[in-house]
Amino acid sequence: MESGLGRSSETSLKASPSMASNTSRNTDLDQQGGRFNSMDQSFFARPGQSFPAFPPLFGVQSSSLYLPDDNEAKIGNQFEPNPSLNNPTVDWDPQVMLSNLSFLEQKIKQVKDIVQSMSSRESQVAGGSSEVQAKQQLVTADLTCIIIQLISTAGSLLPSMKNPLLSSNPAVRHLSNTLGSPMGFGSSCNQRPSSNNEVTIPDITKTPDYEELMNSFNTATQGESDELMKCQNSCGGEGSEPIPMEDHDVKESDDGGEGENLPPGSYVVLQLEKEEILAPHTHFCLICGKGFKRDANLRMHMRGHGDEYKTPAALAKPSKDSSSEPAPVTRYSCPYVGCKRNKEHRKFQPLKTILCVKNHYKRSHCDKSYTCSRCNTKKFSVIADLKTHEKHCGRDKWLCSCGTTFSRKDKLFGHVALFQGHTPALPMDDVKVTGASEQSPDSEAMNNMVGSIVYNFAGSSSDDIPNLDMKMADDTRYFSPLCIDPCFGGLDDFTRPGFDISENPFSFLPSGSCSFEPQNGDS
Amino acid sequence: MSEEVQRYGGGGGGVGALSLDLLGQVLDRVREPRDRKACRLVSRAFARAEAAHRRALRVLRREPLARLLRTFPALERLDLSACASLDDASLAAALAGADLAGIRRVCLARANGVGWRGLDALVTACPKLEVVDLSHCVGAGDREVAAVAAATGLRELSLEKCLGVTDMGLAKVVVGCPKLEKLSLKWCREISDIGIDLLSKKCPELRSLDISYLKVGNESLRSISSLEKLEELAMVCCSCIDDDGLELLSKGSNSLQSVDVSRSDHVTTQGLASLIDGHNFLQKLNAADCLHEMGQRFLTNLAKLKETLTVLRLDGLEVSASVLQAIGEGCNNLVEISLSKCNGVTDEGISSLVARCSHLRVIDLTCCHLLTDNALDSIAENCKMVECLRLESCSSISEKGVEQIAICCPNLKEIDLTDCRVNDAALQHLAKCSELLILKLGLCSSISDKGLAFISSNCGKLIELDLYRCTSVTDDALAALANGCKKIKMLNLCYCNKITDSGLGHLGSLEELTNLELRCLVRITGIGISSVAIGCKNLIELDLKRCYSIDDAGLWALARYALNLRQVNFLQGFSYPLESSKEE
Repeated sequence: MESGLGRSSETSLKASPSMASNTSRNTDLDQQGGRFNSMDQSFFARPGQSFPAFPPLFGVQSSSLYLPDDNEAKIGNQFEPNPSLNNPTVDWDPQVMLSNLSFLEQKIKQVKDIVQSMSSRESQVAGGSSEVQAKQQLVTADLTCIIIQLISTAGSLLPSMKNPLLSSNPAVRHLSNTLGSPMGFGSSCNQRPSSNNEVTIPDITKTPDYEELMNSFNTATQGESDELMKCQNSCGGEGSEPIPMEDHDVKESDDGGEGENLPPGSYVVLQLEKEEILAPHTHFCLICGKGFKRDANLRMHMRGHGDEYKTPAALAKPSKDSSSEPAPVTRYSCPYVGCKRNKEHRKFQPLKTILCVKNHYKRSHCDKSYTCSRCNTKKFSVIADLKTHEKHCGRDKWLCSCGTTFSRKDKLFGHVALFQGHTPALPMDDVKVTGASEQSPDSEAMNNMVGSIVYNFAGSSSDDIPNLDMKMADDTRYFSPLCIDPCFGGLDDFTRPGFDISENPFSFLPSGSCSFEPQNGDS
Repeated sequence: MSEEVQRYGGGGGGVGALSLDLLGQVLDRVREPRDRKACRLVSRAFARAEAAHRRALRVLRREPLARLLRTFPALERLDLSACASLDDASLAAALAGADLAGIRRVCLARANGVGWRGLDALVTACPKLEVVDLSHCVGAGDREVAAVAAATGLRELSLEKCLGVTDMGLAKVVVGCPKLEKLSLKWCREISDIGIDLLSKKCPELRSLDISYLKVGNESLRSISSLEKLEELAMVCCSCIDDDGLELLSKGSNSLQSVDVSRSDHVTTQGLASLIDGHNFLQKLNAADCLHEMGQRFLTNLAKLKETLTVLRLDGLEVSASVLQAIGEGCNNLVEISLSKCNGVTDEGISSLVARCSHLRVIDLTCCHLLTDNALDSIAENCKMVECLRLESCSSISEKGVEQIAICCPNLKEIDLTDCRVNDAALQHLAKCSELLILKLGLCSSISDKGLAFISSNCGKLIELDLYRCTSVTDDALAALANGCKKIKMLNLCYCNKITDSGLGHLGSLEELTNLELRCLVRITGIGISSVAIGCKNLIELDLKRCYSIDDAGLWALARYALNLRQVNFLQGFSYPLESSKEE
């Protein structure tokens, strides 16, 4: 992972041949935007380039009007004061990127409600308390998405504003000081070996600078980091820790302190590398190189290479030998650092089987490339999920007067029983034009619902998790064509330090989203 | 007014001098609709008083509906069940100009032409609507019910046999009408446990619920048990409900007063026993045609209901004399017991039953073949209050038993002697029961004009008489009936093939007659039918199957004169509902 990250910053700049595939993906912005989760190096590179503007944003914000927990104000401050600082003549909001920003506003409003409801509680309970952690993580993820959008939106203006920002804003310097040499991090990342099952070392080197960035956020914009980095709260207090290794130690002790219900060491942890996970075939013919998904198919295939492969022994299932010796309990770790399924996570929850690993990795860290052909809304990274969805897509025929649809009648009735005043909407309600009185609210609600599906990927209430993923993918796709590429060239040399920093803020993204993993990921 | 005084002399002037309020009070005390009609026809003062005072209206044609609704502004009850060819457009148009703020009850039974638009208009026009009857609107579905659900004050709703109603419609109702107290979902076959569950959650005021013939299961009873005010629960022929469901039902609040599980095949006495455990104040228990064996626990639990139980129906159950004795000892306050088609009911059992149950008023012993006059003797001796006695197919009883009953039970209002082979002597004794309203003598072929003459001369209140296959009855009996029993509304003369046109001519004087069955009276012709059509103004149903001699003249007379006629059965298998009807 980290090797990927490290390389990414360079590959995207240098377009090294090893990353040809990634650079080629750069051309396809849609796909690439969505790919960021999926270990895609190019993704990290790109936000990285846009990032130099990012710390200043926080800096400005923290200095000017920081603390109110209201997200909208905060975010508004994030991008509004900046143009006034740097380039007063440029108006961000209305005309140029109006569509993007309106889109952004919608999302912010949705998140705002959640945060507002939490804000009082958050101030009461000490930050990082486990009670509200889940909610905070939710908000974290949502805010993360917003930040991505902001950065993407802001990206187009960066070339004009980066210099004044960097020079004028003390927060940036502070940030860079606390981080030390970002270049060093980048190089260390580059030097990392990309071996399959040995990711622990990169993890160690990775986490420090990751934590480091968190710390810098804490010092610069404390409240922001509180909300964004809840998952890192345990180590978030170590703002003054400059040395990566120490930081890591602290983290480990935290792990011990937090405790795990699974006895560590009672199982063997295996970690496959992402290439291995994503490989379409896992069994290869040694003779011709053809790949197969199943070993049995490979064995069938081998018959064609000669009679020696046709013997019953060669065709028999080879696993019987291994079963004779007591196999140790094996669990799997997700290679994605920061993911709860990654063994370095302080609340590590192992995955049971390789299939779990594959599905988890695809669902959580990969682009959702399969779109439902019926609704054109839902996206999936595992094709089986798509097929499952397609079975039921459009069958949400049970409609409540509030606009919520259900695939099953009993679910609708449970909903109706729960909420005062909600009634089932009869199917004819939307068709009918003459229905007049009672029909109009229903259809209105319907429209709202459709609108929320189409325009706001948040879906605000019921199922945040799938929507979250969808959101992130869609948002980046939505904004990247406008913003990211333009900032690419202009930033190159100057913002080098910022690059490596910038890869970090996005590494927390997956961690934030990963905290939701166990719920929807692999079962 | 002055004209009236002149026209009607002092009497009319006297009426006209009274205030509308007083006249309204007078009208309120006139029971019979016909008499009220006579009043308002005779005096405009009465007509005005009625216009201002009238609370209930039953409309038979759609054309005058609008005018009637405007004429009677104080209406509270509107019955459109017999309103021929009522549809959305006419209903909405009629409602448009009228002030219906006072209307609380609307009956739309069998109003198949009314859809959701009409109901929508109705509910909008009647803000105080409390009771709606949509029973037998077989075309009504969720959309119609949803329109009714807009009446938030609704307390009673009957959706009996609204075949299109599903859980969705029910959900609309229960959400829209949280004050619902009485709901009938009989025959709404699409409704499932989910709908009943929602009903139980949303309508805590429910007192009466009918889920007969639904395909709901025990889960529904679990939901229903959460209804704390439920007093009456009918679940006829719910084959998915069994003892476990009744067990669940018994966990609820101890509020049930009436339970009907008749024809629910999977219910046994075990389940009923556990039900009684949970509900100690049951007054009515109808377990007809579902029990097969009596359980000891049920018997002992029945005794727990000693004080309250008044109605017990155990049709089809195998009972012995000892069981009947136990019931008699356990349930002293029984008012009604039904043992029809119960095997093992003997004279001994009946006598031990009635020995303790002196309050019995209704006794159903249909098809208890073993009974003899001794059983009737003990009934007559112990149950002086008996009003209804059903003895169909008790072929061993004779006129002596009937005599005892007639002597000892002066309150007898209904007696069913179908297929009991009683004779004229029995009728002579029965004639002592001057309160008799319903008399069924089908298949008693030995009954002749002589016996009916006794009845005719003494039972002037008779409203229903069944002479099915009393083949000895002739025109003379009809003449006597027409003379003595003017109140008869329902008359069955099927297969009394000695009856001719002259007999029907006598029937023409029965103005109250509503239902007349003349099946296979081969001698009657159009002439007889004409006299019936002309004389019996209130005729609603007429059965003329296999009356081969009837010609077009008879039908023409029916069409011309029998303006209230709704159904005529002609040939076998065919029935022609008529559109022609008229306002009350």
